[in-house]
Amino acid sequence: MELDVVENRLLLIGPNGVGKSNLLEAIELVCSLRSHRCSRDQDLIHWDKNEAIIKAAANHGDELQLELRRRGGRKAWLNEKALVRQLDLIGPLRCVCFSALDLDLVRGEPALRRNWLDRVVQQLEPVYSDLLGRFSKLLRQRSHFWRNSRNHSTHDRFALLNAFDIQMALVSTRIHRRRKRALEYLQPLASQWQETLSNGKENFSIDYQSGSVLQGEEDEHSWRVSIEEQLLAQRDNEERLGSCSVGPHRDEIGFLLNGVFARRFASAGQQRTMVLALKLAELELVGQIYGDSPLLLLDDVFAELDRTRQLLLLEAVGEKYQSLITATHLDVFESSWKADSQILEAENFKGFIDIR
Amino acid sequence: MPGIGPRTAQRLALHLLRQPEEKIRSFADALLAARSQVGQCQKCFHLSADPICEICKNTEREKDLLCVIADSRDLLALERTREYKGLYHVLGGLISPLDGVGPEMLMISSLVKRVDQEGVREVILALPPSVEGDTTSLYVSRLIKPFAKVSRIAYGLPMGSELEYADEVTLARALEGRTTMD
Repeated sequence: MELDVVENRLLLIGPNGVGKSNLLEAIELVCSLRSHRCSRDQDLIHWDKNEAIIKAAANHGDELQLELRRRGGRKAWLNEKALVRQLDLIGPLRCVCFSALDLDLVRGEPALRRNWLDRVVQQLEPVYSDLLGRFSKLLRQRSHFWRNSRNHSTHDRFALLNAFDIQMALVSTRIHRRRKRALEYLQPLASQWQETLSNGKENFSIDYQSGSVLQGEEDEHSWRVSIEEQLLAQRDNEERLGSCSVGPHRDEIGFLLNGVFARRFASAGQQRTMVLALKLAELELVGQIYGDSPLLLLDDVFAELDRTRQLLLLEAVGEKYQSLITATHLDVFESSWKADSQILEAENFKGFIDIR
Repeated sequence: MPGIGPRTAQRLALHLLRQPEEKIRSFADALLAARSQVGQCQKCFHLSADPICEICKNTEREKDLLCVIADSRDLLALERTREYKGLYHVLGGLISPLDGVGPEMLMISSLVKRVDQEGVREVILALPPSVEGDTTSLYVSRLIKPFAKVSRIAYGLPMGSELEYADEVTLARALEGRTTMD
């Protein structure tokens, strides 16, 4: 299929299972090389086909192409030039995606919030992926070591654990610092969006509860030394439990609404608004840093916002961001949303969207 | 065999079948001889046909400088530089509990003994910059520090490369390991 986006806002309307989210997923893939729904390329290709191709042309002239194959890896092209590093495809087009799956960001497990934050930081700092990779490898090596070291002497074990501690303290410090910094950027933006979307009634704040105690001002050396001490202090416990209790893998990012934990006390609608505020904060931050606003993809989240919040969102996002929005019925949108929008009604014939 | 796919394997097999008999016989003998004669040097654990390898025997080399590497392939790479004039110590792998490799399975205690007894002045750690390489480096350096100076090779940009083409992680490592200009 081919789609020419002519307006700043595209409303994609169609019954369940017609492929609306599929279209947004394709855009997300070509922008970020990942899909929030699945991680295997095989699941992204049509049942009867061996490959899938996504092409995108941006206003400023860049042409992106991503090819997925049932067998073998991906291939990426930028302006008809095959890329050696696929990561180089990220940049000309960026997007922030919000779907029903993201609601777990507020009410789900802490790991979901860490993953979300990690993805934001990864967009801002390329070195961050390497730090995360190192840290998870260190954790795995360490837990494996505990499981298989019962017959070694305490002295031998401690010598090797010291070697792990030194590395973990360094990597942890750097991960904590980047997460903390990213949250400091995101917090004012998210809180402003929440205020806008709730018509000034709700206050959103973020509380970074780091998995290591970070004392005093941000300082690589003193944090590192202190984390090394904490790792040493928890060693007896670690031996009993088999898991390390200090480090960024124990971080919790607390979202507070009017001062109380939203995970437990906010209503479903308030949580939804908070996720939206976080996504908009991410949108704004990425836009600020790269000097070019990302696309906003809203997948079937409108029906769940009340009239006032919808109107406020329209006002806020308005002309500022290019957005692609899906819904099952056109009537969920306020009439002001329909104006100045490109409306696409998809009918289901053979499992694909037919655009005329 | 490592590094050889099914197609190459087939080509090699067909090539061998077309060779004259004596050539194959001498090839087979050479393989057998290598298998039965090549062992490890008792001092540095490099591959060697004699109990003590050529490098350890060489009196021209600096006896008080020791370079620690993970395996013999790394030693051969360092030798190709023709820059290093000290001796070596081959660990035989890297510490990795995930792969079941603990310090006791590597030639670490013999290294400490060697450094202590042979009056080594400096030990250079030339292990890869991975989690396993760094773990091994840290572990070994702690043990050797009481006896000798310990240094580590620098990590950074390959020669002839341009900054703009280097990946971010390599560049960050190179920045971190920067040196002062004299």
